[in-house]
Amino acid sequence: MNVFQNFKTIVLLLFLLVSSTAKAKEKDPNYTCPNNHILELLPCDLCGCSTSSGSFGFGTLSNANFIGVRYIYQNFESRYGIFDNSPKSKETFSTYQIWAQVPLNDKFYVTTNVPYQDLTREFQGSKENLNGLGDISAIGWYKLQFFKKQKTDGFTVDFNATKEPSGHSLQFGIGVKLPTGQFEEALANNVNPGFQVGTGSVDGIFSLGYNYGSDKIGVNTLMSYYLKGENKNEYQFGNQFSYSANVYTFFSTKKMNIMPFAGISGDVYDTITQYGETLQDTDGDILNASFGSELAVEKFIFGASYTLPIQQNLFGDNVESKQRFSVYVNFAL
Amino acid sequence: MKILKYAYALMLCALIASCSSDDDDGQDLTGQTGNIVLKFDNAVGDQDFIFGATYNKSNNESFQLNTLKYIVSNVRVKDSEGNTFLYPIEENAFIINEEDGNNAGEIYVTLDNVNAANYTEITFGIGIDQERFALGAEGQGDFLDLASEEGMMWNWSTGYRFVRLDGTFSSDTFTNEPLNVHMGSVGTSLDNYREVTLEFPNTVLVRENKTPQIHIVADIAKIFDGTTSVNLSDGYNQVHVSEETTPVIAANMQSMFMVHHVHND
Repeated sequence: MNVFQNFKTIVLLLFLLVSSTAKAKEKDPNYTCPNNHILELLPCDLCGCSTSSGSFGFGTLSNANFIGVRYIYQNFESRYGIFDNSPKSKETFSTYQIWAQVPLNDKFYVTTNVPYQDLTREFQGSKENLNGLGDISAIGWYKLQFFKKQKTDGFTVDFNATKEPSGHSLQFGIGVKLPTGQFEEALANNVNPGFQVGTGSVDGIFSLGYNYGSDKIGVNTLMSYYLKGENKNEYQFGNQFSYSANVYTFFSTKKMNIMPFAGISGDVYDTITQYGETLQDTDGDILNASFGSELAVEKFIFGASYTLPIQQNLFGDNVESKQRFSVYVNFAL
Repeated sequence: MKILKYAYALMLCALIASCSSDDDDGQDLTGQTGNIVLKFDNAVGDQDFIFGATYNKSNNESFQLNTLKYIVSNVRVKDSEGNTFLYPIEENAFIINEEDGNNAGEIYVTLDNVNAANYTEITFGIGIDQERFALGAEGQGDFLDLASEEGMMWNWSTGYRFVRLDGTFSSDTFTNEPLNVHMGSVGTSLDNYREVTLEFPNTVLVRENKTPQIHIVADIAKIFDGTTSVNLSDGYNQVHVSEETTPVIAANMQSMFMVHHVHND
């Protein structure tokens, strides 16, 4: 069974990666928590999980198989305190990812994401930095391809005729996010609990995607639900629903394919629980508009996107997402 | 192919299901003690209180303060089983002075050696009760000196100032007139000591190795616009020992506290 062997290899590789990195990420001695006494309310795992979230997309527009690197830049503003006139801190999240979509056969494929997080917070002139391996995730997908209706003559059906794809397909994904990034409880009491390289929990990921692609236009939609586990500090981020929808088109030249796209994406976060109790003002939602383009040259796909929040209500309005952009280079498999 | 799919799903379910922990249940806490930090945070409505800022109130009046202090005493917490832990009475009186706030304007009161338990509410008094006052000057311990230094005493026979607001106020007819609200009990003839009980939004878990923080917001605006709205231009700009005005301020102060949130660290 070729499929099974492929699958085993991937699992093994992933396991090796996880176990080797887990040891390497002992406490960062350079990081000290500065104003422990001041630390306030907490939101969701904006960073730990959302950089591997469906609202960022798991792959390329055309749903092609690839391996590549992606850089995501996000910035936020968080209220440092509980009042309307409390000062604000600025958070900058940089994420470097190795991501891939690897086929198992023509119906099954796996997407995976290995992030490295580099987070900076600036408050009243002082900066603090946190970096390290983030939470690795992997999703197994089943692709249901739809075909054009076959012509039948009378009562006989020609089973040997090659079926013509209709361009429509559904993808069902089930996956897991692993606690490979370090979670620090002291940091969780921050205004922006997303200021973590990882959530410290094992999360389940359930996804449903719909794609349509013709030679002129393509549609790319995805819904994902994150079932969040509790970490060792009995801290549990709220379950999360992510969605995205993009429309793209093609411009082809001899040398390259240009695919500009525009769409919306969003996340809805449930409240955080700690010691079995829900914490107030820790739920939230955000709706983003994004646009960008992919450029395919031979085997390479270059991509860039810019995302701007349209509407947001994150954690009692204590956290404000400002913008994010991402660039990536993928090599088609 | 189907088998593979189901195996995958099963593996995931097992992984997720095996990740809950409930090691805190049924724990024996007897003999364990921990600390609680009370963080008093003075506010005016949704705003953090700032010295010198002009705050509007009812009756088209406004005020500015350069002193903001009050006394809190007899702090006790009740656990989920109904037991009350009273902090040792001889150490159980505190002056909350805005000037002592950290850069976020929070004034810390640390209660140590609190019995380990799951606490659900806190009760404290505003001011000094008659029982403590009846202990005489000797019975006040160090607190008498502290209160004198902080300007929270009139003299022994009149007793403590429970709250001290100094600043100015303006109205339609006055501009930057002195504002001094010094409310307290008047000896034993007038008892303005009041208590407040506040429920915690989340259980406060006191353990040997955990110091929960209780963030208490005090809305100073309620001193003038609490249960009763008072007009500064009608005598409430100078509140000292009056039998009429002090009980109104005392009742208003009872409504100014709320527990905003707790941290279980």
